[in-house]
Amino acid sequence: MTGLFIQLMSKQILNNSNFIIIPAFNETTVIKTVVEELILAGYSIVIVDDGSEENLLAQVLVFTNTYYIRHAVNLGQGAALQTGIEFALQKKAKYLVTFDADGQHSAADIPALLLPIQNNEADITLASRFLRPGHHNASCSRQLLLKTARWINYLFTGLYLSDAHNGLRAMNRVAAEKIALKENRMAHATEFLFAIKKNKLRFQEVPATVTYTVYSKSKGQSIFNSIRIFFDLVLHKLFE
Amino acid sequence: MNGIKILLITGVVFIAVYFFVRLRNSLFDLILLLLLVGAAVVFILFPEITNQLAHNLGVGRGADLVFYTSIIIFWYVILKFYARLRKLEQTITAIVRKNALEQAETSKITRDDS
Repeated sequence: MTGLFIQLMSKQILNNSNFIIIPAFNETTVIKTVVEELILAGYSIVIVDDGSEENLLAQVLVFTNTYYIRHAVNLGQGAALQTGIEFALQKKAKYLVTFDADGQHSAADIPALLLPIQNNEADITLASRFLRPGHHNASCSRQLLLKTARWINYLFTGLYLSDAHNGLRAMNRVAAEKIALKENRMAHATEFLFAIKKNKLRFQEVPATVTYTVYSKSKGQSIFNSIRIFFDLVLHKLFE
Repeated sequence: MNGIKILLITGVVFIAVYFFVRLRNSLFDLILLLLLVGAAVVFILFPEITNQLAHNLGVGRGADLVFYTSIIIFWYVILKFYARLRKLEQTITAIVRKNALEQAETSKITRDDS
């Protein structure tokens, strides 16, 4: 018991300047499990509730080192991430991690993402489910969609990544201060790449698992959404 | 003067008056409005002019020329509106974000904030 406590405490001291930013919209059913896993690893958590119908406050404030921010209206995941990043910077976060609320990521992948940044080899690391085989259970249509997204990202940013739209990323303060997401909706994933390119940030891709559950699939991106992302990107370029 | 001319001119005059009431602050807008209304009325009264213009530009009929130019103007207007919409969205985002950051809640069981 004492051993466990000490282990937990040491993790706390090691990890509590690492902020995990979780944008959440109507994630009432899974958010608690997701946060629980991260809390056990000792991270500080920033939950950005993007105007969910049901206030998530009561669900998450039972945890330690947890901050809860609520948008009065639903703005989109990009906007929620930006709010979370700004808040974590205010709280003097050393490293910032973005993490999806639907349970598709695993807390166990975070140390690997942080490592290159802590070793000062990268400013930002992007999780990829395709770097190693067997790190995802995406359907064929989904893989095709992600491959297309990868090319579209390449066209827009000149960066060719193995995984175009993975919500798991880690960055240091230098990178976080440079990120200014203007796309409120899903096109923000490409905006991270714009920021990398524009500010010449050092980046690495790190293998990470993505587990699609029935739940996360129901919350995920459809083909129509992808078309919308594409148009958002075109318009972003036009009106930049 | 036939029916359609009266109808169109009445429409143009109504729109002009409406815009005049709203835009009277800006002299530039007013001049632009007067020019557009003037041109519209002239073209309605003497449609042959548009035919002549169309022939000079290699378009078959005056009505077609008017149609093509309208499409371009509408595209421009839509883009203008879209740009304004984006700006509005960014303003709303900024307000909501500021408000959210001010009201951020911290869990009750927290470490001593250093």
